[in-house]
Amino acid sequence: MDGASPSTEGTNIEGESPETEPTTETDEATITDDAELERTLGLTGGLAIGIGTMIGAGIFVFPGLAAGRAGPAAAGSFAIGAAVALLVALPASELATAMPKSGGGYYFISRALGALAGAVVGLSLWFGLVFATAFYLVGFGYYAVDTLAELGIAVGEGLVIPVALLFGAGFTVLNVTGTENAAKLQNGIVALLLSILVTFLAYGSLDAVGLVGEPAAPERFAPFGAMPVLTTAALVFTSYLGFAQVATVAGEMRNPGRNLPLAMVGSVLVVGVLYVVTIFVATSAFGSEALAGFGETAMVEVGRHYLGAAGAFAIVFGGLLATMSSANASILSTSRAIYAVSRDALLPKRASRINLRYGTPHVALGLAGGPILVLTATGQVELLAEVASFLHLIMYGLICVALIALRRNEPAWYDPDFRVPGYPFVPILGAITSFAMLGFMQPASQLVGVGIMIATAGWYAYYARDVSLRGEL
Amino acid sequence: MTRVLVPLAILEGESVSPGLTTLLEPVDVTVLGYHVVPEQTPPDQARLQYEDRATAALEDLAATFRTAGTSADHRLVFTHDREQTIDRTAAETGTDATAVTGASGRIDRILVALTGDVAVDRIVRFVAALIDDREIGVTLLLATDDAGRDAGGELLETAAGGLSSRGIDVETELVVDAPTVESLLEAAADHDAIVVGERTPSLRSLVLGEEADRIAVESVAPVLVIRDVDGPPAADDA
Repeated sequence: MDGASPSTEGTNIEGESPETEPTTETDEATITDDAELERTLGLTGGLAIGIGTMIGAGIFVFPGLAAGRAGPAAAGSFAIGAAVALLVALPASELATAMPKSGGGYYFISRALGALAGAVVGLSLWFGLVFATAFYLVGFGYYAVDTLAELGIAVGEGLVIPVALLFGAGFTVLNVTGTENAAKLQNGIVALLLSILVTFLAYGSLDAVGLVGEPAAPERFAPFGAMPVLTTAALVFTSYLGFAQVATVAGEMRNPGRNLPLAMVGSVLVVGVLYVVTIFVATSAFGSEALAGFGETAMVEVGRHYLGAAGAFAIVFGGLLATMSSANASILSTSRAIYAVSRDALLPKRASRINLRYGTPHVALGLAGGPILVLTATGQVELLAEVASFLHLIMYGLICVALIALRRNEPAWYDPDFRVPGYPFVPILGAITSFAMLGFMQPASQLVGVGIMIATAGWYAYYARDVSLRGEL
Repeated sequence: MTRVLVPLAILEGESVSPGLTTLLEPVDVTVLGYHVVPEQTPPDQARLQYEDRATAALEDLAATFRTAGTSADHRLVFTHDREQTIDRTAAETGTDATAVTGASGRIDRILVALTGDVAVDRIVRFVAALIDDREIGVTLLLATDDAGRDAGGELLETAAGGLSSRGIDVETELVVDAPTVESLLEAAADHDAIVVGERTPSLRSLVLGEEADRIAVESVAPVLVIRDVDGPPAADDA
């Protein structure tokens, strides 16, 4: 899978041009003219990134909110989200094996559809991740306060935002000064989380179908009709943002032709199944109305219902770990997104400087951490989640379009190891469903999302109009 | 041709001692400049910023080897994982041994340990190529338990015979029932460099660090670790 990369040219307003060099990709390393870049992530590492980013938000923060909006059919909303994610994960896998480089979705779109689309997606992805991280941090705040409550220290919800801010600042500083072995820790957290959830869900499912415990009161599956199921799907789609993060480390993954598709599709499948079962169990335990009343930490009450204080504690603990791992993984992805656009001269090169003392991209991490704290302070769970989804869905839809564009007129360098089954239906369906979900969001989220996209397009027109990134199509 | 890999943390100013440069004169050398970046930094991001600086430093180092008459090339790798990079580069360049740089001046006598999982004849061949026709003495060391005393002695004699037939000044030392690394370190005090065979990772090496690294740290001398090319491939979850 060697060969020339897509060509780039032009300079931005400061006279910087995109940094690209012909590279040769092997299973073990990326080889440039004078240097080699070691591929150090295995399949387990890739799955941990995907699952670790996704598992936090949806499963621990959304059940109460989603059940309040869609009733037991919230499980259907999560299933719709999983289906859309899968339809995008397949084309993204093909593109990632053809271009196994840092940058992920941004890279594919800028090379297939040109610099304007690339700039909008790349800069929007930065903000999308910022919104997502703020959402995870607020979720973390709720769980932190609940942990204190379980320990007998009732502090009230007034402390949710301060705690979230404190930890957001903490993660940023931690990432600047270096988190050695964070990936190994992340693997451990994901394994622990999965075992907590599977145990809990196995017991809960048996109970929910009436095999153990007392049967729950039957409830209408979709008490509010089909529309809320779709709008809820749009809301909870934030739960599925993690799989694309796997593509952002494509340049560091060993044997990318095999591991990238497995990690992306695998993490969507694992997380999708867990989500659907969780919502089913949660709504069976309480009925959607009661569940909605518990708010962001409804899962704790579900845990208490099935397994008593131990269950509540396990869920509180799991929720803390999960929201923490999502937030941390997203801060890292944000700095990688900034690196990818600054490398292509769409942002000043300064933004991706590394400091020699810690070896970390301190400017990019600051550009992630600052806005995250501002957004966390708003505490708007649903708005943060929807804007994050909105900006990601734009990218997902365009990934599908990029695949179709490349396949219609395959350039010589395009040689993916993995090809989408069911082409062209899968990418076409992926694009349509991604864009369609935008329509089911709250107007406020749509407005913020569109506003950010217009702002990024404006930035491109002002700063990097002459930069061209399109591949030789 | 015999090839030795010399890995150096290039951006941290790690360099080679004059003794090691002299020792490696007769063999081919690949200088591996590596830079380990933390997980939150893509290796390519580090390359963009530091490639020129690292390449300049590497070229200087390779030139040092060439003035000594060695045929030397260099490679530059940005990585998250030092061990993986060394293993891959060693396999790709067909390296016979990896050097752990230490401090050393003149090389008069080297200590060769017949330990590890590398076949003795491979060790002998490497040492013969390393010494070539220079006036460098060799002490062969073998550590064994009481039951292996006779077999160990025979092995030592065979190895010593192989080297002295090439005109090399050889001494042998058989250590019975004493901890291997400790006896090696004790013997190392009178020597200017150490050659050991690679070992498959054990629980002990996980706790105390690679045996070779431990020897290198405690003896301060350069250590050459002969690769176990026939050994089992490293575990890989790729």
